[in-house]
Amino acid sequence: MFRISLFEFRIYREIMLVENIKAEFNLYKNQAEKSDFFLKREEAFAEFEKVGFPTTKNEEWKYTNLKNIVNQSFQSTCESTIETELMLSHAFLKDLTANKLVFVNGTFRTELSTIIETDSSIVITTLAKAKTAHSELFNKHFGKYAPIEGQGLNAMNTALLSDGAFIFVPNNKTLTNPVIIINIADSTDVNVLCQPRNLIIVEKSASLTLVETFYAVGNNPSFTNAVNEVYANENAHIEHYKIQNQEGESYHNNFTQIFQEANTNINHVTLTLSGTLVRNNLHFFMNGQNCNSLLYGLYMPHGTELVDNHTRVDHAFPNCFSDELYKGIMMDKSVAVFNGKIMVHLDAQKTNAYQRNKNILLSNEATVNTKPQLEIFADDVKCTHGATIGQLDEEPMFYLRSRGIPADVARKMLLNAFADDIAERIKIPELVELLEQEIEKKI
Amino acid sequence: MVHKQEKMLSIKNLKAEIEGKKILNGLNLEVKAGEVHAIMGPNGAGKSTLSAVLAGRADYEVTEGTVEFEGKDLLELSPEDRAREGVFLAFQYPIEIPGVSNTNFLKTAINEKRKYQGLEPMEATDFLKMMREKMAMVEMDKSLTSRSLNEGFSGGEKKRNEIFQMAMLEPKLGILDETDSGLDIDALRLVSEGVNKLRNKERAFIVITHYQRLLDYIVPDFVHVLYKGRIVKSGDASLAKELEEKGYDWIKQEVEANS
Repeated sequence: MFRISLFEFRIYREIMLVENIKAEFNLYKNQAEKSDFFLKREEAFAEFEKVGFPTTKNEEWKYTNLKNIVNQSFQSTCESTIETELMLSHAFLKDLTANKLVFVNGTFRTELSTIIETDSSIVITTLAKAKTAHSELFNKHFGKYAPIEGQGLNAMNTALLSDGAFIFVPNNKTLTNPVIIINIADSTDVNVLCQPRNLIIVEKSASLTLVETFYAVGNNPSFTNAVNEVYANENAHIEHYKIQNQEGESYHNNFTQIFQEANTNINHVTLTLSGTLVRNNLHFFMNGQNCNSLLYGLYMPHGTELVDNHTRVDHAFPNCFSDELYKGIMMDKSVAVFNGKIMVHLDAQKTNAYQRNKNILLSNEATVNTKPQLEIFADDVKCTHGATIGQLDEEPMFYLRSRGIPADVARKMLLNAFADDIAERIKIPELVELLEQEIEKKI
Repeated sequence: MVHKQEKMLSIKNLKAEIEGKKILNGLNLEVKAGEVHAIMGPNGAGKSTLSAVLAGRADYEVTEGTVEFEGKDLLELSPEDRAREGVFLAFQYPIEIPGVSNTNFLKTAINEKRKYQGLEPMEATDFLKMMREKMAMVEMDKSLTSRSLNEGFSGGEKKRNEIFQMAMLEPKLGILDETDSGLDIDALRLVSEGVNKLRNKERAFIVITHYQRLLDYIVPDFVHVLYKGRIVKSGDASLAKELEEKGYDWIKQEVEANS
């Protein structure tokens, strides 16, 4: 008798977040206008109901268990009570000259945001505003790139997204300054759920530098479930940096789909500095010839943190180049997962694709699960992939120490050198400096 | 004023092994300030083990004996403290460290040494001036300093970089571990000239080499023959010439006959 009640209790616990989501969607459904956008969300919600949250039975989620998320209750529309200044004091790059969009618990905060771009043809606004003000662009691109089918978390974001950035750079335009999207999860009062959704459209021969940052404040758990859709039209150039630094009990799932037309250049760097559980899904689709896709990442989890990077690069046309390098510095009992998939389609002749994952374990108790994957259907391609997991080499340590450099300083120098491969991909000097400081602090 | 030549390094009955294999078997050596000692010997005699033990490489275990450096127990010190006390090892195989720039590395090493001595960090302008001077001394190309430590350097450039580092760190005792190996004659000349410029009354050198060739350039005060982990013969620079002519076999025979 006792065992049965325990069993029932477990079932109840597991559906806690699902119940939250259902209740929230029903509330939304009763108030919403029956627009195209609404229909899309309703469809997404149906998919979410069908698929639910991924479990470790799913091969793609084998090492990343979401039980600590789905067993808790989260609220998605809660106001933050923290003072503005205090809130921004957590934010990186707050002094950088840039266009800033600040979202706290998924809600846009006008008073914290600044747009310095003077060219009125360039749109830097929120998704909520763009839906009506730029409805044609919105309808043309929204939900077209990030898949929903079989993707419970993407479906959940689409059904109940909070808000996010909408950026449109027209043909031949270049932004003078970067755009920074600052996402803050404030869980001071309750468990908070944030579902940011960004739509980035960079038209022909236009270019954009985009920085996304994520922070968490407060002692309750927070869960960020973000979806980015990035569209690069022919000959566009995008520098895209993602910095995840959510301290405390914070969970983060990120799905970024980058859709590239011919002759586009995308440089993407993901820096995961902190987070209880961080899962990044970064997908590139090259829909034309002569595309460059560069994917770089650095993670340095400590404690019992888990960082999972799943990437996928689709080479669908000939003569494209992709280069991927993810590096990890593993401390304490942390866990990292890397799964990089490169798909070279039948027509994608003369593809050059490189992929590497390198890890340094600074503790005997850290774990890395890595799986570089190549699937090649074309026959005239150059592809390499590989992964390494090891400790800091003794020889360089001895060399530095033999010149009078103490062991702890030598160790930092070598770890900085290890991270340098990633740092040198960052074109914002302030961000590089910041990364160096963070390495100094964390190690 | 009476000038008393100080004992700098005193090695007594040093025995050391690696992975259970005995390499040094009771080595004795005394080095005074200003002296240059050459250590020669056949392959496997323990030459590189001696330099490794003096620099503090962890994989060697000292089982017996003492090493005093300026009155301090050298074997008790960490590798970095040995360096900061004034011991410098020029590596036989200097390694490449990608991502650590030569300049940053040297600045850190110099300032760590100064910190150890209770001094303020060096002024940036003084540091650059010193770099320029010492680089000229070993005819090192300026572009090498902005590159990563030894990365992509030729064999000769790596050895010159060792001497350049020694010039920058101004040690009391310089140990050259087969610095001549793999060098062509021009590189050998440059490296030797660098070392000769660093010779003075206060500084001592231990020059470990298999060949006499290096000693044509760096003329030693003493030559010791190391065999089976012990110094079996000592003499002046003429001993090196004798070894060059006759090889090591007669020494081996002498040792076997006496034992």
